[in-house]
Amino acid sequence: MLLLELFWSFVKIGFTSFGGLSMIPLISGEMISHGWMTASEVSDIVAIAEMTPGPLGLNCATFAGMRAAGFPGAVIANLGALSPTFTLCFAAAVFFEHFRKNKRLTQIMTGVRPACVGLVAGVVIELALVNYYDSGNVHFPSVILGLIDLILLLKFKISIPKVLLFSALVGIILFGVMGL
Amino acid sequence: MLIKLYMQFLKFGSFTFGGGWSIVAQMKALYVDSEKSLTDEELLDLTSIGRSLPGTMIGNIAMFYGHRVAGFLGGIACVIGMITVPMIVLMIITSFYTAFQHNIWVASAMRGVRTAVAPVILSALMGMIKSAFKVPPCVLVAVLMFGLYFFMRISAVWLVIIGAVLGLVICEYYERVRKLDVTA
Repeated sequence: MLLLELFWSFVKIGFTSFGGLSMIPLISGEMISHGWMTASEVSDIVAIAEMTPGPLGLNCATFAGMRAAGFPGAVIANLGALSPTFTLCFAAAVFFEHFRKNKRLTQIMTGVRPACVGLVAGVVIELALVNYYDSGNVHFPSVILGLIDLILLLKFKISIPKVLLFSALVGIILFGVMGL
Repeated sequence: MLIKLYMQFLKFGSFTFGGGWSIVAQMKALYVDSEKSLTDEELLDLTSIGRSLPGTMIGNIAMFYGHRVAGFLGGIACVIGMITVPMIVLMIITSFYTAFQHNIWVASAMRGVRTAVAPVILSALMGMIKSAFKVPPCVLVAVLMFGLYFFMRISAVWLVIIGAVLGLVICEYYERVRKLDVTA
């Protein structure tokens, strides 16, 4: 039953996500409501998925599936997340020429893209509320590190894996060695 | 043929860090530049359709390419090939994560990493904004969806579907009332 639930969750996630980060609000919602992950763990999986090869959505599926139900869970979650690829995308491949300049698809995306912007913005705030707070109070060392990360990413265009690695090292010093 | 496709995508899948664009670059190097079995324009079409269908972009691109070369089974071979290495890597990491989650050093490293997650998503969001706001009502859609998600706690699944419907409505409105084709 757990496997079926997991599969159905990722089928829903798969069919309503359009690549990359637009999957995060969906994954976060499904994982937290089923109790398969906490908000901190959602942050961790985003970071881990960004540091390892493979698409974010599928990496999240492997992580969540494995945490919820071990190896079979990971396989089932991946199959669920790939279900649009095996069905819709296959159909599109058969009628490729027809799909090449499909107007309805472009019209749908005109609404889906801004919707994803809104959702992703919501998730940023949601995760920030968890990651920059410590038992109800703003945790300043975390906030400052976050700001430095943002500057590295936007101003200096440092790549995401490098920024994550940098934060891990600073984290070990700040929270591990200095005990902040 | 299937084994060849599987091996090629196994290699692509091993080197796709941070987003799907590196796989497109690898496909271009192999199929467009060296094998010359695909043109730049065809690859661009594969990519743009793969991106606008639901699901992961590179899964869709793998399916398209595999189907083109060797039918449905070819598509399956490419998709499975692409996910093999990432899946194994992530399974190993997940086991370690579960075992060492509460180790002080791992926990402090992860705490540091977590501070970077919101900035990482935010920086990606900046990149999305440009292509997302084609016409002014799109901004309204984004604000509305943010509110419904963040304050009303409505499931993202429904909001994406509502977004799709609003997209149709907005485009039809512009075409019929303002005689403007947004999709062009």
